[in-house]
Amino acid sequence: MTRHIVNAKNVTKHFGKVVALDDVTLDVKEGEFVTLLGPSGCGKTTFLRICAGLEQPTEGRVFIEGEDVTEVPPHKRPVNMVFQRWALFPHRNVFENISFGLMLRKRPPEEIERRVKEMLAMVKLEGYEERRISQLSGGEAQRVALVRSLILHPKVLLLDEPLASLDLKLRKGMQIELINIHRNLGTTFIYVTHDQEEALVMSDRIVVMNEGRIVQDGTPREIYQHPTTVFASNFIGEASLFKGQVAERDSEKVVVACDGLRIVCPGREDVSVGQRVWVSVRPEKIHMGPEGDVGRENSFPSEIVNVIFLGSMVRYQIELPSGELITVQQDLSDERPLHPLGAKVEIGWAKESSLLLTR
Amino acid sequence: MIRESIRRNLNPIAQLGPLTTFMIIFFGFPILVFFIYSFWTVQGWTIVRQWSLGNYFHAVASPVYRMLILRSVFIGLFTATLSVVVVYPLAYTLAFKIRRYRDLILFILMISLFSNYLVRIYAWRSILSTNGLVSVILMALGLADEPNSYLLYDWTGVVVTLLNVYLPFATLPIYSALLNIERSLTEAARDLGASPLRAFYEVTLPLSTSGVRVAFLFIFLLTAGDFVTPELVGGSGGRMIGNAIATQFGIVFNWPLGSAFAFTTILVIFLLLVAFLVGGRLLRPRR
Repeated sequence: MTRHIVNAKNVTKHFGKVVALDDVTLDVKEGEFVTLLGPSGCGKTTFLRICAGLEQPTEGRVFIEGEDVTEVPPHKRPVNMVFQRWALFPHRNVFENISFGLMLRKRPPEEIERRVKEMLAMVKLEGYEERRISQLSGGEAQRVALVRSLILHPKVLLLDEPLASLDLKLRKGMQIELINIHRNLGTTFIYVTHDQEEALVMSDRIVVMNEGRIVQDGTPREIYQHPTTVFASNFIGEASLFKGQVAERDSEKVVVACDGLRIVCPGREDVSVGQRVWVSVRPEKIHMGPEGDVGRENSFPSEIVNVIFLGSMVRYQIELPSGELITVQQDLSDERPLHPLGAKVEIGWAKESSLLLTR
Repeated sequence: MIRESIRRNLNPIAQLGPLTTFMIIFFGFPILVFFIYSFWTVQGWTIVRQWSLGNYFHAVASPVYRMLILRSVFIGLFTATLSVVVVYPLAYTLAFKIRRYRDLILFILMISLFSNYLVRIYAWRSILSTNGLVSVILMALGLADEPNSYLLYDWTGVVVTLLNVYLPFATLPIYSALLNIERSLTEAARDLGASPLRAFYEVTLPLSTSGVRVAFLFIFLLTAGDFVTPELVGGSGGRMIGNAIATQFGIVFNWPLGSAFAFTTILVIFLLLVAFLVGGRLLRPRR
């Protein structure tokens, strides 16, 4: 049974009148890779900084390894942070940056030299000791910042959108490297990002946040397939969203009426007729066939109004009879021809693919 | 093609031209004139174009003038050092600790520059005098038994007055350099294990040296050559080379000698700067 290494209890943070965090409780297991995911201003960075000790919560306590560290200053906590713009010391070279923490702890020079070499080798930057910070590329600086913290063997590594300033290819490469480092070292990672794809790729667990509160907490798969809120379903992955009212309800199905469309969802007990709800459908669950090809519980004739080619897949924007636009995604592995703009097609999806959301 | 390169070279020349011309006419040329004068002599009220090094010899050999030059350099260095030390906490607080009233305080700091330089020196003469503010406060605190004009009419008066007068000049470069330091740098240092004081020493201080150097240089150069302040608050113990030069030009009408004093002082300061630079280079290499 892995223990919890970080416990945040009822953490609230006010900046003057602004509520950055509102009664957030979160537990992180040892060795986990947890990602705090949300839009700018949702409080994820504030939470991270409170874990680091760079901010004090207005209310609530933070525990690391069972000890209350809420009032402990950052230099005394067994956690280390990787900053968004890396915060490398410009007046010191790479070696001095990486060895900074060890130097403060008065480790012997031979040990420092050996450990810095190890770290540089781990991120494939051998021989970079004498380089000035200004001479480093984005990817190199990012790796130096990473090992500057890792060399101290922190119990928890806090990462504040460290890949945000890298270009796409570099970012994807670094994501894999981070996963590998995490697996090899076993350090607990708490990662902050607004990029949902990044969260899906790297995390054991995603905590979706919005406006200072936790919206949903689960594995990437759970959140993608079973979002509990409109916000979560929109934030992770693409989805078509319908707003409407419950028209019928029984043990087998719930029918939602939106703008003249009747959408069939799996049956459930906790909604009542007339209740305002949303239905979310993932684009890969929507099938597109020739006119009249009705075969599923949800089936509507429609027209293609936009074709978006994405290399390995294609997204079609479809206009439904109600005038609403939805997105359908198709894999292009078998090199089938693209449907033309303006084509009339039949759109359908299974009852199980309708995600009924009450908030 | 050629026109393009001509235009490119012309642009900086055009932009710097007016200022450079102004400086050459009103600064460079007079300096050159006085430099030539310094090698001439005086007879009665006329300048005799007789080349000699006599003035320089006089400046260096005479104990009085030698003392004045050295004292001026000393006062300059002392005031600059004191200014930087006094102003650094102020600049630091303004840059990092105060947000809401920052502009107001900066404005108050600058207000002192609105008033006349001479008037402020007179004000200080009054503050430092017997029965002046300093004396009254010291007596009220019980640190003195009788009214006295501490600091006044001595080199200390000059230092105190110039320190206050040039305070904004010292604050701004340091404040500006501190503002440029990313906040995340000190946070990173603290996160890596540095106490707030250590983080200051390892990160903030080294990154602010450019501002400190500018402030120091400013105050040193402004102070070492001053002659109005020592005239009014310096007394005999605070007399500086500036006064001697002013006397030669204004009263004695020995412009050649005055010029020689000026250029000797410039040489001494120049040698000092070279010594600093070389010394700084020697102390620099680490790994």
